[in-house]
Amino acid sequence: MPPSLLSVEGATKRFGDVVALQAIDLRINEGDIIGLVGSNGAGKTTLLRLLSGVYRPTSGRVTLDDGADVEKARQRLGVVPENTGLYARLTAWENIRYHARMHGVPDDEAWQRTLYFAQHLDMTEALGRHTKGFSRGMRQKTALLRALVHAPSVLLLDEPTAGLDVTSARTVRELVRQLGEEGGTVIYSTHQLADAQRVCNRIVIIHNGEVRADGTPEALLEQTGTQHLEEAYVSLTSDVARPRNEDDKPLSKWSSWWRALFTPKTPGGGEDE
Amino acid sequence: MSSATARVRTIAKKELVEFVRDWRTIVAILVIPLLMFPILFILFPLLLASEAAELDAVAVDVVVQGENIPEELVGLLENSSIETSYEPLPVLGELSTPTHDQERLRNGSVDAILRLRTNGTVLEYAVLYLSTSEQSLEARSRTFDALSTWEQNETVRRIDAAGLDANETLDPLRWSGDIAQSDAATQGEQAGMALSLFIPLVLAVWTFSSAIQPSIDMTAGERERGTLEALLGLPCSRMELLMGKWLAVATITGAGVLLQIAGLLFAIGYLASSDLISTPSISATALLFLCLAVLLFAVMVVAFELALAMRSHSVKEAGSILGPAILIILFPALFTQVINLDGIESFWFAIPVVNVLLALRELLMNRVVYGHVAIWLVSSTIYALGAAYYAARQFKREDIVTSLS
Repeated sequence: MPPSLLSVEGATKRFGDVVALQAIDLRINEGDIIGLVGSNGAGKTTLLRLLSGVYRPTSGRVTLDDGADVEKARQRLGVVPENTGLYARLTAWENIRYHARMHGVPDDEAWQRTLYFAQHLDMTEALGRHTKGFSRGMRQKTALLRALVHAPSVLLLDEPTAGLDVTSARTVRELVRQLGEEGGTVIYSTHQLADAQRVCNRIVIIHNGEVRADGTPEALLEQTGTQHLEEAYVSLTSDVARPRNEDDKPLSKWSSWWRALFTPKTPGGGEDE
Repeated sequence: MSSATARVRTIAKKELVEFVRDWRTIVAILVIPLLMFPILFILFPLLLASEAAELDAVAVDVVVQGENIPEELVGLLENSSIETSYEPLPVLGELSTPTHDQERLRNGSVDAILRLRTNGTVLEYAVLYLSTSEQSLEARSRTFDALSTWEQNETVRRIDAAGLDANETLDPLRWSGDIAQSDAATQGEQAGMALSLFIPLVLAVWTFSSAIQPSIDMTAGERERGTLEALLGLPCSRMELLMGKWLAVATITGAGVLLQIAGLLFAIGYLASSDLISTPSISATALLFLCLAVLLFAVMVVAFELALAMRSHSVKEAGSILGPAILIILFPALFTQVINLDGIESFWFAIPVVNVLLALRELLMNRVVYGHVAIWLVSSTIYALGAAYYAARQFKREDIVTSLS
């Protein structure tokens, strides 16, 4: 069995009364290309934020292979958040270099590494351009280059193909596949099962904050007794999906009253929650 | 250089590069402060002077109502660029009663009306005018000048007629010598005194206001644009993040304040031809404490603003909080200007914001009172640390990764 790089042990994450993740156990092994699949609000982004140390678990632990707390070992993680998080007034290369410097990577080394992956993503020409006018695909590619610049042990991708055109989505998937072939470890969050099926060697289905299934595509079919992954997914997530609410904070009494004051009643009599 | 220091520097440098690339913020925070006072003090007076000259050249129409008007007064009115016409005085109790003349003033057919009536040995008068018309005001002013000159001459004549010396009677108390020589304060001290009246105010208000935009952009702005999540996943602590951003905001604010003061001093120097404001005489010790006071104030203000902006979910929310928050600085700053520094009670030097402003006033006047220095130094350090701690707490919040969008 390949060595484990990242472990989640009984991790629960609460936001006030809302339980975003419930007692998650997950071992991420070297060479895993994990498809983290779930509907909107399932808890994928929260889990990725726990893995990247942006969130701390309310209970349980997230550790790296040597037992180090993930927050202290971000050096070994590459993160592409859902909205890419690029600075519009910087060029693509400056965005990448900023992260490289924060990781302590010398500029020339960062440049060589960026060039290598930029050629695969057909991004070489765009490196000197400000990211303000970039398409969604270009932004995603730049964010990928930025996450790879310090040669991370684990790459965390949050919905990397969401909103991309067919060609860009395919390029991203090919890069992930290539990283897998080179022995890299990737956690790929998506709500598109087909996406995960194409590039991942392991699928984790997450639903309403719980891990419902974890294994190879074949193992999932066997576990659910179905012929297709889509059927397997449906059978594992048949209960109603909760609304996405981990980021919401209840309004104060005063704010609720004030907002209601300037909110006309809906003709049908519906009220804001 | 330690890796933590390198990361703080990298964050600050990136923020500054981003700031410099936005010409609108450069104009708002660096160019406007530099030009604001020169425009206000040099161009504005020039404009006023040109308007005044234009008004001086205008002939004004004044109707003089009355009979037996002293000839000397008639001459004075006619020599004051006033086009006079004469009418009989209507029957009135009080001369200031407008009657139908009000309409003539309102429709502009006449600029002012001078009413004169002899009552025994006294010449009674009233000038009707329209306060919303520049030309009418000018007519009134010229009429008053003529009346005043006539009154002075008439007073002298009557004193002489009574067998008295008009000069001695009207001016029994006189200053002897050069009034400037009587001040024991040196020119440098006087300059320090003059500067202490506005430099602390400018420094406080501008430090706060110029830090608002970059503070919001680097916190709530990042949160709203979604760039903060990627940043929080990097191997840097939240404290390093706060320090990097603080350094960038402090640099921008410092540059803005310095440019504004430079512009202010240039404008004053230009206006006064170096007579009014010379170089203030400040000792090295006072200068050192001055820099320390400004530094502590900047630490506190910038940390406080970063904290408030980081608490906000959006740029709009941050703006609506930080905009009115300038009153926290403005009120104490205005209040501090009227506090008498002679024999001032020590507790003033422990009140937030007021302490630094009073310290600046004292130090600009080259007064180093070690008791006061100790109080404001300790209290300002506590407030600065408190603000930094509050900011650190805000930066450590988990929800800063989420945005309304």
